Amino acid sequence: MKKKIGVYVCHCGGNISDYVDVERVRAAVEKEDGVFLAKTTMFACADSNQKEMVNDIKEMNLDGVVVASCSPKLHLLTFRAVSERAGLNKYNYVHANIREQVSWAHSDDKEGATQKAIKIVEAAIAKVRHAESLDPIKVKATNAVAVIGAGVAGMRAAIELAEAGSEVFLIEREFFVGGRVSQWDNLFVSEESGKELITRLYDEVMKHKHVTLLTGAEVVENSGSVGNFEVKVKITPRHFKLQCNPGELDKAIEVCPVEIPDEFNFNITKRKAIYHNYPSEYPQLPAIDMKNCTRCGECEKVCTAVDFSQKTEYRNIKVGSILLATGFDPYEPKKGEFGYGEIDNVVTLPQFKRIVHYSKDKLMYNGKEVKHIAYIYCVGSRQVDGENKYCSRYCCTATIHAAIDVKKKFKNVHNYHFNRGIRTYGKQEVLYDESSRLGDIYLQSFEHDPPIVEKVGNETIVKIKDILTKDQELDVAADIVVLVTGMTPRKDNSIGNLLKVPKGRDKFFNEIHMKLRPVETVIDGVTIAGASQGPKNIMESMNSALSAATKSFSLVASGELALEPTIAEVNEDTCEWCGKCDEACPYSAFEKIEKNGKFIAKVNPAICKGCGMCLPVCPANSLNLIGFTDEDVEDMIDALLPNT
Amino acid sequence: MNMQEQMKTLDYDVLVVGGGIAGGESALNLANIGYKVLIVEKELSIGGKMILLSKVFPTLDCAACITTPKVSEIARHPNITVFTGAEPLKITKKGEHRFEAVVLQNPRYVDVEACTGCQLCEEACPVSVTDEFQFGLIGRKAAFIPFSIASPRVAAIDIENCILCGACERACPPDCIDFTQTEQKYLVKAKAVVTATGFKLFDPLKIPRYGYDKFDNVITSMQMERELAPTRPFNTVLRPGDGKMPDNIAYVLCTGSRDKSVGNPICSQVCCMYSIKQAQLLMGSLPMADITIYYLHIRAFGKGFNEFYAQAQDMGVEFIKGKVGKITEKDNGNLILRYEDIEAGIVKEAEHDMVVLSVGVLPNRGIDEVFDNETLKLDPFHFINQSDILASPAKTSIDGVFVAGTASGPMDIPDSILSGGAASAETTSYLRREESI
Repeated sequence: MKKKIGVYVCHCGGNISDYVDVERVRAAVEKEDGVFLAKTTMFACADSNQKEMVNDIKEMNLDGVVVASCSPKLHLLTFRAVSERAGLNKYNYVHANIREQVSWAHSDDKEGATQKAIKIVEAAIAKVRHAESLDPIKVKATNAVAVIGAGVAGMRAAIELAEAGSEVFLIEREFFVGGRVSQWDNLFVSEESGKELITRLYDEVMKHKHVTLLTGAEVVENSGSVGNFEVKVKITPRHFKLQCNPGELDKAIEVCPVEIPDEFNFNITKRKAIYHNYPSEYPQLPAIDMKNCTRCGECEKVCTAVDFSQKTEYRNIKVGSILLATGFDPYEPKKGEFGYGEIDNVVTLPQFKRIVHYSKDKLMYNGKEVKHIAYIYCVGSRQVDGENKYCSRYCCTATIHAAIDVKKKFKNVHNYHFNRGIRTYGKQEVLYDESSRLGDIYLQSFEHDPPIVEKVGNETIVKIKDILTKDQELDVAADIVVLVTGMTPRKDNSIGNLLKVPKGRDKFFNEIHMKLRPVETVIDGVTIAGASQGPKNIMESMNSALSAATKSFSLVASGELALEPTIAEVNEDTCEWCGKCDEACPYSAFEKIEKNGKFIAKVNPAICKGCGMCLPVCPANSLNLIGFTDEDVEDMIDALLPNT
Repeated sequence: MNMQEQMKTLDYDVLVVGGGIAGGESALNLANIGYKVLIVEKELSIGGKMILLSKVFPTLDCAACITTPKVSEIARHPNITVFTGAEPLKITKKGEHRFEAVVLQNPRYVDVEACTGCQLCEEACPVSVTDEFQFGLIGRKAAFIPFSIASPRVAAIDIENCILCGACERACPPDCIDFTQTEQKYLVKAKAVVTATGFKLFDPLKIPRYGYDKFDNVITSMQMERELAPTRPFNTVLRPGDGKMPDNIAYVLCTGSRDKSVGNPICSQVCCMYSIKQAQLLMGSLPMADITIYYLHIRAFGKGFNEFYAQAQDMGVEFIKGKVGKITEKDNGNLILRYEDIEAGIVKEAEHDMVVLSVGVLPNRGIDEVFDNETLKLDPFHFINQSDILASPAKTSIDGVFVAGTASGPMDIPDSILSGGAASAETTSYLRREESI
């Protein structure tokens, strides 16, 4: 039992003390058994107070510490570190949350809030009395990182990790690298093309002997945990030998009789079963799409590199960290949404960009020259009724940039922007300005009153009640209607499910804390980059990729990791394997082992998070949570009960 | 005698110019990998602008609660040295991985190690001046602690305003006030440089028709930020003119942004969101108050931002699409806003009892002039130019000099932190290149 407990009650500026009488809390707990010192402080987390705490612990030989402040999510680690700096094992520190759980929740009842705060601090004191010194679990970390997705974010992260000194496995599901950016021509700001940017990044990736690029590759299994993930990668063969004659390759594509809609061009063109998305795409070797190949054998006749004997391979890879850069899917409008799928000249922005790419002297669609273009913004974003409440961030700028490009590339083009308030934030504003000067017309409505697309005779009409002209009903006969579709999370979330990465309200991968830990997830060792975390433009994706690379690298670089010792332990004498713990565990930390002639449960300390889900379901009460024993929790409950 | 002989030489791996959140993030990342970092900060405390904010969007975290632990980690990291009240006078690139900087350490007139932050000097000092850390809302002494959560939280003497009466010296228990301190120059050798010099706020005096400084109840958003902060000067929200609690507050967005007439054509990227945040906080602290936001376009583009905007609308914040042309004052201190109501298509007038000018983000100029023999290129808006913006956003025109945070353009806190992370990553690979030679 502790005899010299120090208690610090934080004002949090006024966040707590405006509603909780912190002085009364201090006075109430001062008399508790074992409490040696009780103080209030303006900001417990401030540097000056941390110094004071270190001095107190050292000078008075405190053996337990409680800080009553904000959520442990913010500052548990801060005050554990304070204990450690003062030479007191950090597990002798207990955190009491009197901000999120008290002052913010009960701002209408100061008296009640103060009483609740006293109880919460007393419970923390009850817990710290039992606290024991614990040592972190040390595990070896493999200095290797799996980067999932070889779009711009994934490639950039891979380069950085390799330069810093990690082994990198760059795993791409498609047969080709480059992700979405390879589908774009001129890129805003630099005006280089998507392909040029991909080429630069690909060349860098290939230069590094510590990067292994796997294409047609998917992670299908994962075991292990931070420091030592073991991932199984399924590699689908492209059915081409590496050494081959470029002339023969072109011939092979030419003779292939299968034609299917080309997903790379968002189905506006067709491709063969033997394909590459564009000439000189990386890796510069076509692939055979076996789902659609009829095995007619025509290609084999003209190209010696075709090899139907290649088999699906599996590769087991050991890495210390996994960096997810799996990107986004463009929103797919529903049939009939602004005429999509019903009116033939309604297309999406990604399709439009491919149409512009393939048009030479004149902008052509469905055999007709396009002169009047209507862009409808926020399709699939900022939805009033739908699920996507978020703004997709990149689309205003992307659309205006595309519209300017079209005007520069073709003559007599007129752009009409049906928007909901243009969001060309920051320096992107200059683009909006340029487009206005080029004569583009902007028409605006609010969320609840979107424009309408109708077929009237041969014409496609877009109608709007325009708030910029005092709610006038205006309409435009458009040769093509471009639906500015936003970014959505990948439909295929198999990797997210496999790694149990949580998603936010917007269904993109969720970070731990937007400002403190923006590229880390609650799954230790799994970092997130690029648009997999939320809509971003290229520069923003790069910043997040580089940040994620830094985090992944700092995890694996030292070769050793310290993990929380507050995990479940099994009483081997009383455990008779029934599997209930295994069913309850959200992290698959249990393993069935045979020991002393019977089957028992074993906890993998690197996987267990100490969540305690297994404890109540154990029929033999054979599980214990280190640092949260039944005795600890019962005493805390006693402290929380009303005084008798 | 040449300069080098007079100056003390210091050796580091990386020199980080600016100790705000972006510079701090870069420094921490680099220090955690094992590099020795020197942060040179012009102000008396690290933490930049963020440490002075109230709560931050869209999560409404308390800004101090997020900044102070970072600041504290920076201050005690064994691989990081911090100079506050210091600035680089000259940075010379002697070759790849060889930078030399002359760093000026201004005297604080206080022995930083010995000061306990007891504030007795503050009490003793007879001189009152405007407090720049409270953006002029209240005063401070000439002997002062910059603000309550400053790092280091020790006193400084504002020598410009000090009358040399010696009262602080007599009051100081550990005897740490030292008027004999002088400017120190150091020769700092470093292998790479991170510029994280942040931004400046637009000065609303440049738009006289908004009446800032002329009308007491027209304040800037940064002043409102201080009125809402946990360490707020009045412990509630008051209008400065007469100390009345306002009940009808207007926000004027794009003050100094998207405005060629003041030389700033770009959008400041944060004003819409911080104004919406302040509106939500005001509805919490002044439940009866009406809040109106006059805007051109609401730029709620980041993760959770649009939802945050919708939440403000649901809470009853009024959004009026229109540009405010002119503000005039009534006898009772209330203000008349003349504005174009775009939706109604007419010019209107409205009365409010307090007006907040949502001032924009401007480049913090001067860092380019510090570079001696190579040119640090600026973009057309005088932010640091990102020489390979799409592939390597932290790169500048000088190899080995990287940019972090708002020094390259307006951005919010999450983006600044990611940009700080990117700068540290690119600095690492630049340093690794030397190690592999």
